[in-house]
Amino acid sequence: MAEATRDWQENPLRVKIIGVGGAGGNAVDRLRMSGPGPLELAVVNTDFKTLDASPLTEKVMIGKTVTGGLSTGGEAELGRQAAEADRTELARLVEGVDLVFILAGLGRGTGSGAAPVLAEVAAQAGALVVAFVNLPFSREGQRRMRQAEDALVAMREACACVVSLPNDLIVQQAEGDPTLLEALAIADDWIRRGVQAIHSMILENGLINVDFATLREALQYRGGKAVFGFGEGAGDGFVEAALRDLERCPLLHLPDNRFLRKTDGLILNIRGGPDMPLSDVYRIMDFIGDRFGCKENTVLGATVDGSFQGRVQITVIGTVDVSGARRHPYRVPAAARPRPVTPPLRPEPPPFAPAAVANKQTSAQTDSVEGPSLAQSPHPAPWDTVTATPARRETKPTRGQAEFEFLAGEERGYFEKTEENLYEGQDLDVPTFIRKGIRIAL
Amino acid sequence: MPRNKIIGAVEIGSSKISVLVGEIEGGRELNIIGSAEATSVGVKKGEIVDLSAVSRCTHATLIAAEKKAGVQVDEIFLSASGQHLEGFTNIGTVNVQDADNWVSEHDLRCAGQSARQKALPQGRCYLVHIRGAAYADGREVENPVGMQAAKLELKYWNVHANERRITDMIHIISGYDDGLSVEEIIPASVASGRIAASDEERRAGALVVDIGEGTTDFVLYRKGHIVRTGVIPVGGGHLTNDLSIGLRINFKQAERLKLRDGKAVIERGDKDSHVLLEGDLQIGDRPIPRLAIAKILNARVAEIFSIMKNRLGSAISPQAVPGGVILTGGTSSLPGIDEVGRDVLGVDTRVGTHPAWVTRKDLRDPGYATTLGLLFFGLQGQSLGERERKAEAPRAGLLRRLFK
Repeated sequence: MAEATRDWQENPLRVKIIGVGGAGGNAVDRLRMSGPGPLELAVVNTDFKTLDASPLTEKVMIGKTVTGGLSTGGEAELGRQAAEADRTELARLVEGVDLVFILAGLGRGTGSGAAPVLAEVAAQAGALVVAFVNLPFSREGQRRMRQAEDALVAMREACACVVSLPNDLIVQQAEGDPTLLEALAIADDWIRRGVQAIHSMILENGLINVDFATLREALQYRGGKAVFGFGEGAGDGFVEAALRDLERCPLLHLPDNRFLRKTDGLILNIRGGPDMPLSDVYRIMDFIGDRFGCKENTVLGATVDGSFQGRVQITVIGTVDVSGARRHPYRVPAAARPRPVTPPLRPEPPPFAPAAVANKQTSAQTDSVEGPSLAQSPHPAPWDTVTATPARRETKPTRGQAEFEFLAGEERGYFEKTEENLYEGQDLDVPTFIRKGIRIAL
Repeated sequence: MPRNKIIGAVEIGSSKISVLVGEIEGGRELNIIGSAEATSVGVKKGEIVDLSAVSRCTHATLIAAEKKAGVQVDEIFLSASGQHLEGFTNIGTVNVQDADNWVSEHDLRCAGQSARQKALPQGRCYLVHIRGAAYADGREVENPVGMQAAKLELKYWNVHANERRITDMIHIISGYDDGLSVEEIIPASVASGRIAASDEERRAGALVVDIGEGTTDFVLYRKGHIVRTGVIPVGGGHLTNDLSIGLRINFKQAERLKLRDGKAVIERGDKDSHVLLEGDLQIGDRPIPRLAIAKILNARVAEIFSIMKNRLGSAISPQAVPGGVILTGGTSSLPGIDEVGRDVLGVDTRVGTHPAWVTRKDLRDPGYATTLGLLFFGLQGQSLGERERKAEAPRAGLLRRLFK
């Protein structure tokens, strides 16, 4: 796939979702995804029995020489050896794939050991690797936690973006005493939303379009942490509702997300109905930019979905450069680099001219973004408001944080008139359950 | 025969102002001869927000307590809390003066002085200097006097506060009657720690957590010394406020509900179980799921502990605090709170009881730990306070300065 001119008609963008280990395999099995374009699913495991039971067609068994077709018994080192032994198998699995999603449960053997190896192999093959990993319950003990943390570090080194989902949070999200199936369903749903958000962002034709090259550019720094969150709102004031929902997304409140307020790169995807005014898109952007302290490098995607009348869904993926990783950007080896950035990535006739692809790299460019791109687009404007572009300018500059005070000043109740009680960027006077996004059913 | 000294312990808390009057007999024995308590108005998160209201309240409580005791109070011991309290460790080092390296009292005094001398930023004042471990040539010793060492180090935990807030408190007391004087202001955590943890526990190493209405005060002991104190401006009032917001009921209802049905752990069966808001079957009464109550309280309580854990870092582990975590203060009566503490801190956690000498039943409530602790310090100041006193000396001058 090294050829610089790739025929996108015959050779469309390939996306593959690979589950590693028991938990990862299950997640892929249960992944019910709808989306445009072909989607390939695969599982990798050391355990013959589990692999045999999987309904998927593409299965890779690793470490036959190491474990003899059995599981690793929770030993991460064994998992790593197994993957190392079958590197060629793994390389074949990711060959020619552009975007690889790795799903794994960290803490036990195969997931912790093999997933980082697979990520490395995939990255070497030239794919953009995004991983969604589950972290073990804290009740599972220190050893699992340690294995998971080690694996997480290894994953961060190999992947462009690693989103971690602690299992503890899943239980917290569930109503009361969740059954095992309920808990699993929640975990699956989080992974599905994450995968789908990225997938649809680059494959669907958005109003403001994000393509694969933009994603690659935004995620070019490896070794950093990823912040992932989503919010949804419907009904009256759905924008506010969605932002509030996002603010309460439990994934944004992980203990190690101290860097929440200053991300280095931000991907924001907005999915709204045909009735959503453009001004709302900018309100969301402004808010997110302020919230995550990232005005310089925000990639905005906006998609119109007919079924989203009076509804909006926001997905945010931010990368944080914790260890000066910027000096080691995530770069694919030149030979394996698939293509220069310019050619259109979509197999179908592109809706916008490539030069007009309205990706935004800086918010300074905000004002000029859709002017040339949307207005001149031969494509019929999906939103009426697009024609009203000049009007937007009048409202934009004055918009500050004031509009979103409802998020800051609200819900302090008894402590309304007292000084803010700030601790690591949060106001402790606001009820904990609101800040952590715990649902209270009355 | 000299008249016995009468001391008053005053805690201006976020939920109540409580006053205990103690009589010190012959400088060694303490009798609690009067007590009074009033609902506090104008204090939030441990800090005074309405000075005149708090003043009136405090004065009324003092009058009531004096009336019960039948005598006038000579001096006041006051507790302080709130976010403005901060502390830091400082080590005073001296080279031992004696030619043969025998450590003398003088060396000790010099080391203490240098440990306490650090200048504070504008608007801050020292509240207490608490002496910690002593090191003779790097070796930790109980009392270095008379030992041989070339270098003597003395560790101090210094608590400083916002000057304005401290003067406010002193003004409240001095505004009472004929200019009653404040003898000492002690951080609430230090006072409670004295009562909630036994000598053995403090020697072994323990963390005392006083969860009050407006603040959570904690004090960490190691080898009998205070090594850290801290205030988290979150307390029982936040639990109530969370309930009131989460269940959409008013603050008073939420407070009642918290006291009656509140618990910090989510249990099996909470899902389908309900409690009535009022229980009087009147209009407006409604059932509230236990699960909602437990979830709201659990989240808050767990957060308080995790903030504490973050603050203390490696200082809190089963090895570092063999004496465990001891909870006290009004909110420690919340069922299940010790369990949450154990889960979050990873250290054995229990609700403390007062020492046996507190015989009056009403004073055995954990909410009285701070005031009792103040009285205890008052007694100590009179009798065996020699050593501690020395550390306090420069501060007393400071208080007098603030007084004017």
